[in-house]
Amino acid sequence: MNNILFLILRRMRLPIIAVIVSYTIAVAGMSLMPGVDPDGHPWRLSIFEAFYVISYTATTIGFGEVPFPYSTAQRMWMSFSIYLTVIPWFYAIGKIITLFQDPGLRQAFTTSRFAREVHHLLEPFYIVCGYGETGSLLVRALDKNEVRVVVIEMEQERINELELEDYQFDIPNLCADAKLPETLLRAGLKNPMCQGVAALTDDDHANLAIAVAVKLISPELRVLGRAETEQTASNMASFGTDHIINPYTIFGDHLAMEVHAIGTYLLHEWLTGVPGESLKSPICPPIGKWIVCGYGRFGRSVVQNLELEHIVTTIIEADPERTGCKECIVGNGTEKETLQQAGVHEAVGIVAGTNDDINNLSIVMTAREMNPDLFVVLRKNKRFNAALFEHFKADITMEPSDIIAHECLANMISPLLAQFLSLVRLQSNAWANSLIQRLVETVGENVPETWAISITNENTPALFHMLAHEPITLADILRNPNDRAATLPIVPLMILRRNQPLLLPEADTVLERGDRILFCGHDNAKSTTTYALGDFKTMRYMLHDQQLADSWLWRQIKRRKSAQTSAP
Amino acid sequence: MNLEKVIFGFFILLALTLNFGFFIGDIDNPHHHHAYELYIAIVVNLIATVLKFGDRTHIGAIHLATSLVADLQLIAAAILWAAAGTQGDDPSVIVSVVSLSGGALLANITSVVLLIAETIQIKR
Repeated sequence: MNNILFLILRRMRLPIIAVIVSYTIAVAGMSLMPGVDPDGHPWRLSIFEAFYVISYTATTIGFGEVPFPYSTAQRMWMSFSIYLTVIPWFYAIGKIITLFQDPGLRQAFTTSRFAREVHHLLEPFYIVCGYGETGSLLVRALDKNEVRVVVIEMEQERINELELEDYQFDIPNLCADAKLPETLLRAGLKNPMCQGVAALTDDDHANLAIAVAVKLISPELRVLGRAETEQTASNMASFGTDHIINPYTIFGDHLAMEVHAIGTYLLHEWLTGVPGESLKSPICPPIGKWIVCGYGRFGRSVVQNLELEHIVTTIIEADPERTGCKECIVGNGTEKETLQQAGVHEAVGIVAGTNDDINNLSIVMTAREMNPDLFVVLRKNKRFNAALFEHFKADITMEPSDIIAHECLANMISPLLAQFLSLVRLQSNAWANSLIQRLVETVGENVPETWAISITNENTPALFHMLAHEPITLADILRNPNDRAATLPIVPLMILRRNQPLLLPEADTVLERGDRILFCGHDNAKSTTTYALGDFKTMRYMLHDQQLADSWLWRQIKRRKSAQTSAP
Repeated sequence: MNLEKVIFGFFILLALTLNFGFFIGDIDNPHHHHAYELYIAIVVNLIATVLKFGDRTHIGAIHLATSLVADLQLIAAAILWAAAGTQGDDPSVIVSVVSLSGGALLANITSVVLLIAETIQIKR
């Protein structure tokens, strides 16, 4: 802010001096001009009166001739003064207006406002670099989950989009290059409330630069880096980027999950979705022979994962040498002959995974014509092609942005959630299905909120202190504070005790200080429990059905009463 | 030689000399203090203030502060004088006006001292 003030002052020097000089001349001259008062005595304006007259003349207000009508000499000087003072005055005003329209100054204003907003964030927050398709999806989900974010984006257009979006929190945003460490510092990299940085731009190199900068400046922060090539991913891993998100690898992995454990996949999608959205029911991919068109980053990941599930794949690739594909049919996959050759009639599924959207659509359209029962997996590269992809109803459409956003959410909402999801992968499909059943019964069919609490003095003071005197079970803290017989619609997913995870804890689990618990439920329930666990009176009611008196006097009276009743 | 420095030094020094010129004389004798001299002193002080705008150094900040003090005192003196109207020549009024300008004189002296200190620091 100081810099801006100095900049304005420096640029305003000349206009202000011009105004002062012109006023000086006009005022001095006006006070020297001889005049005559109505009684015929010679009379002059005093310096103050002259200043008054010139002031209202220069600003074009013009009250007329006060206190008496002027003499000719005074009028002549007045007409000269008008031109002398009005011009510098307008010059000064013009200069101020130009100054405020100056792009440099406006940039300085927005930057300083942004820094101030970030400085005033008194809650934990994440920095999201890149507000493209992925970034916007993630920001929306985080906003719904009540996680504060700060956005850095290169393109003004996307910043405008962000400002038009209806978020529950105010999201500080800056149009700047996140590759510059200075920008990251402004966004609060050194702010103690900063939890981590998500580098989600569509430029791998920029993401790499951001990750390096964060790890050098604040090594303790968590960094989520989007990496679309192997080199970037391994580069990021080399200096300890916490989560490297490669949408192609993740999609392959998810596809495999869909093939062998649809329940696990569904659970994963559900817990990392945007709260409140309904979930589309997934279709289980069939087992049999699959055709994969395109053996690039995407195709390779799909083939590897399908092979793990013992699915036979036939690869169609236009440039086998460059992609390093050993056994494949050479071609685009867009022609009937190649598809015929690959055995489209016997196949159960086809993956159109080239990096060209139009080719992908052409492949699946031709293939479906030849074999209408095919299970179609379609890769979408460009956002503007979305309309085309909606028309062609593929069984699974792979959208990198969606995948990245989900993956980031899993890590950003709570570290516990990421741990839970990785444990879920080790469980059976039946286990996942029964959990989904339970979630649907308790919280309905929309994406629920997931949150973690830890039993500490700061986070849940009431629970923390009461645990010192009596054993409290999980069921106790899930009672409804309005009616203790009822239970809040919350599913406890996991308890982390001394770094040992306990999946789906039973209701009679006795809690301990220092436990961290992952919950899943409606956002109303979230705010209710968060409040209740910090409030002694509410907790007392939930545990013992006792209403604690508010005032000291009433508490004394109650204590005496209870002493009397227990005495005899 | 730097023209900017010449103008800067000129105005700061002129602000001091004019202020002194107005201040000197019997404190209660209106004939020793001319209204136009006060007027010009105010104007030159204002210009000196504007010239000090935008200097981000510490000494620049003190410079600006001294000028603002001088402006404040001189303008207060002028307002007092203008408000007195026909009683402007009363010793009680003129004493206040001149003593206010005396305060401004101190500020202007500080300003010139700063200017000299700054000049001595430059070894070329």
